[in-house]
Amino acid sequence: MRRSALIALTLLASGCASIQKERGHAEVAALVEERLGRKTRWNQGTPEDAEVQRHLDALLKEDLTSDRAVEVALLNNPALQSTYEDLGVSQADMVQAGLLSNPTLSGSVGFPISGVGVSEHEFSLVQEFVDLFTLPLRKRVAQEQFIADTLRVAHEALSTAAEVRKTYSEVQARQQLVELRRAVLQAAEATADLATRQREAGNITELDLATEQASAEEARLVLAQEELALVEDREHLNRLLGLWGPRTEWKVSEALPPPPVQEAPLERLESLAVRQRLDIDAARKQVSLLWNALELARSTRYFGRVEVGVHTHQDADGPRLFGPTLSLELPIFDQRQALIARLEAQHRQGERRLVELSVNARSEVRAARARLLSLRMVAERYRQVVLPLREKVVEQAQLQYNGMQIGLYQLLTAKREQVEAYRSYLEAVRDYWMAHAELERLVGGRLPGDTSSQPTAPVSTEQTSSEQAAHPSPPQHAPQRDGAQPTHEHGQAPGASSPNGQERTNSPGTRPATENPHEHGQH
Amino acid sequence: MLARTGATLAGGALLLRGSSAQAQSNVPGAPTPSADTGRRNVKQDWQRPGMPGRDYQPVVVPNGSKLPWKVVDGVKVFHLVAEEVEHEFAPGLTAHCWGYNGQVHGPTIEVVEGDRVRFYVTNRLPAGTTVHWHGLLLPSGMDGVGGLNQKAIAPGETFRYEFTVRQSGTGMYHSHHDEMTQMALGMVGLFIMHPRQPVGPRVDRDFAIMLHEWRIDAGTRRPDPNEMTDFNVLTMNAKVFPATEPLVVRKGERVRMRFGNLSAMDHHPIHLHGYHFRITETDAGRIPESAQWPETTVLVPVGSTRTVEFVANVPGDWAMHCHMTHHVMNQMGHGFPNMVGVKPDGLDAKVRTLMPGYMTMGQTGMGDMGDMGMAVPENSIPMVGGQGPHDYITMGGMFTLLKVRENLTSYADPGWYENPPGTQSVAATLDELRRDGIDVKAPSTADPGDPTGSRRG
Repeated sequence: MRRSALIALTLLASGCASIQKERGHAEVAALVEERLGRKTRWNQGTPEDAEVQRHLDALLKEDLTSDRAVEVALLNNPALQSTYEDLGVSQADMVQAGLLSNPTLSGSVGFPISGVGVSEHEFSLVQEFVDLFTLPLRKRVAQEQFIADTLRVAHEALSTAAEVRKTYSEVQARQQLVELRRAVLQAAEATADLATRQREAGNITELDLATEQASAEEARLVLAQEELALVEDREHLNRLLGLWGPRTEWKVSEALPPPPVQEAPLERLESLAVRQRLDIDAARKQVSLLWNALELARSTRYFGRVEVGVHTHQDADGPRLFGPTLSLELPIFDQRQALIARLEAQHRQGERRLVELSVNARSEVRAARARLLSLRMVAERYRQVVLPLREKVVEQAQLQYNGMQIGLYQLLTAKREQVEAYRSYLEAVRDYWMAHAELERLVGGRLPGDTSSQPTAPVSTEQTSSEQAAHPSPPQHAPQRDGAQPTHEHGQAPGASSPNGQERTNSPGTRPATENPHEHGQH
Repeated sequence: MLARTGATLAGGALLLRGSSAQAQSNVPGAPTPSADTGRRNVKQDWQRPGMPGRDYQPVVVPNGSKLPWKVVDGVKVFHLVAEEVEHEFAPGLTAHCWGYNGQVHGPTIEVVEGDRVRFYVTNRLPAGTTVHWHGLLLPSGMDGVGGLNQKAIAPGETFRYEFTVRQSGTGMYHSHHDEMTQMALGMVGLFIMHPRQPVGPRVDRDFAIMLHEWRIDAGTRRPDPNEMTDFNVLTMNAKVFPATEPLVVRKGERVRMRFGNLSAMDHHPIHLHGYHFRITETDAGRIPESAQWPETTVLVPVGSTRTVEFVANVPGDWAMHCHMTHHVMNQMGHGFPNMVGVKPDGLDAKVRTLMPGYMTMGQTGMGDMGDMGMAVPENSIPMVGGQGPHDYITMGGMFTLLKVRENLTSYADPGWYENPPGTQSVAATLDELRRDGIDVKAPSTADPGDPTGSRRG
């Protein structure tokens, strides 16, 4: 909050008379960096763009991590780049609001038609006068509009980042799911292979053989579907990262990390969202600027047009005259009552929207938080209970097979069920990370105390191995890489420590209408 | 009523005092009728108690035990305790069974025709039970069918059975209350009744063997009484080979073997190698010599006993087993697919990528199963056999050995028989094959059997 106030001051102080290309984006970049630890960039065809492109290539050449993907999107997402142009439009409006209306030079020359007399001319220079008084207020309205637009754009950037994270998790999970489907196919093929050999030996019926072969074919088709889903997920990420051509060949070799050992403290998330979310901030600014616009209209309601000027006049035979002019509009009929009423309605509308946004934000945060905790529980249950049990089932099936109590079919069924359980686990973990990204989006930045989405710091190998124990191995024997992230404190969410304890117990749905759900006692 | 209960309790106390002494008191003289408390109206119709050594040659129960008794006022008094028993079928396979006096099966009861016998039956099971004296002639009220002849003995209760033995031969005893469960869990035993006067030629070795079948899934610890067809543990005196104790006999001795079958569903054709025997007794008594056939296999139907006799005049280690081939398997897996003739080729490698411990099995049968040394479920034994003197014996279950030897000093297991030179099958040498004109690579030949047909090959 303090930061946005600072930005507002900067904007005010810097004057608005000229267009500055990077205006607004610096603020967006600051807001985003403060929340994500990543910079954004507005590519405007400058020489630095080439530098950015080189940076992009470097980022994509390495193994793509969630953070790198976010960075690429912030630099390269086409929709985001087009949204940045809104800042140009908004800035132009702001500059426009800071300009005085131009003075009017008027002149007239009269020539005698009858041939009698001389020509006569008159010149006047007139300047709209009220502008001088209303200019600061108009400028303020325009600046607030600009700030609101800046916040909105930054919010877009954060939303894009959240979507990138979700999609990245999907790609990560999908890669592993494809591997698992391959294992299932392998099991089904082995089963069909055995059936073929048994049939050749005369031991089973054509019916049994066809049944096993059909199962193997189904497993093959399911794998094909999963592979297609991977392509689709990758393309979704390509769209978000704005990539085409050779740049789409990025690799994700990092496995989906398990949910963190401990959940970030999730109290006060509602108030944090209301305090931190940029779209709510933008709506708040919008309300305030409508109020200022209303003030402007009210304060000038009895002013009509006031034009002050000078004029010279020379009659045909008279002396040259020079003097001031004043023209006053008499606000007899139009006292801007319609405009004021309109602005009042718009202001109330803005307030209602702010309430709606805040109530919804709180509710969405609660729902997303519940989803996060539930998915975490599911993933943990799988990891701690279901997967070990499935492993045991396979172990015991192997023993029963060794004792010739069951055959390969049952043994491979046990294996398939283990793989399926691992698949469900992976899906739960993937959904957990997607819910995590969604919750981050809903609170408008990183979760308090969360260390999971770290920028820049490279994943070192010793950290990978030390965290490996927390993550069960997949049921095949492929080397396993873990995406454990290094942990360090970074970018504490602003105002996260402010005492607002009572807020989380009150739900906006039950609180009296006199309280504002978007209030958080800090603005 | 009170007086009778008191007398029963007194009898029980008496028994408890005497039981540790294994008293087989040798008090001569007939008992007085007044000793038979509570049954003064029964006319004394029994003889003095028959004594081992004097009146009969005791039976041998391989792997088994006998029920101790003592004489009280001329009556042989026994105490049977029905209870849960931890029983080992063979090293590696133990199960929670139900039996008597800490044994599965229950200890063999041995009496003499004309004996007056009194059984106290204490129930330490969680369910009611009774004892039926299978094949014995006795008063209806002593027949032990729960609900029909008596009230079931409730857990904690002790009932008394008393009757006079009026016959000789091989009988059995078993639970006759919820018998499907209780017999499937092992509540059976043999009841040997020796004749008062010798019948037929004197025997030197008299073996008593109870046949039974169980379902114990590999990795479980309790027989499944619900099984109707797929039995996987087939026992002689509740043991499977290689845990069955061999029947040791001195060359030239006359041998009697008594078989009782209380399996749930299967008859057992017991086949003895190396000898012809004669079936000398069925449940109901001695078969006249004129009706005895020479046999090598005796079918012992469910619920029946059969007794065979022969003279052991050929030394050696002779197999004796049920001839139903699945009955000489241990814990066979009935869900195992037919793999015989399957060529595994690349299959092993393919499956090993998923299951590192995998190896295709069964494509040449199950003969290799016993000694492959692969890890198997806990509490389970290999499907087949045990180690023999020459190789692995690919039979388990209802399989044992008759060991006939010269110059025995005791009936302890004499070890493996060494065949005299030239009396054992060995690989043929090339010289022998040449000498006898055997071409091992020639197509197989067979005589069509029809004297008019032309010879194939």
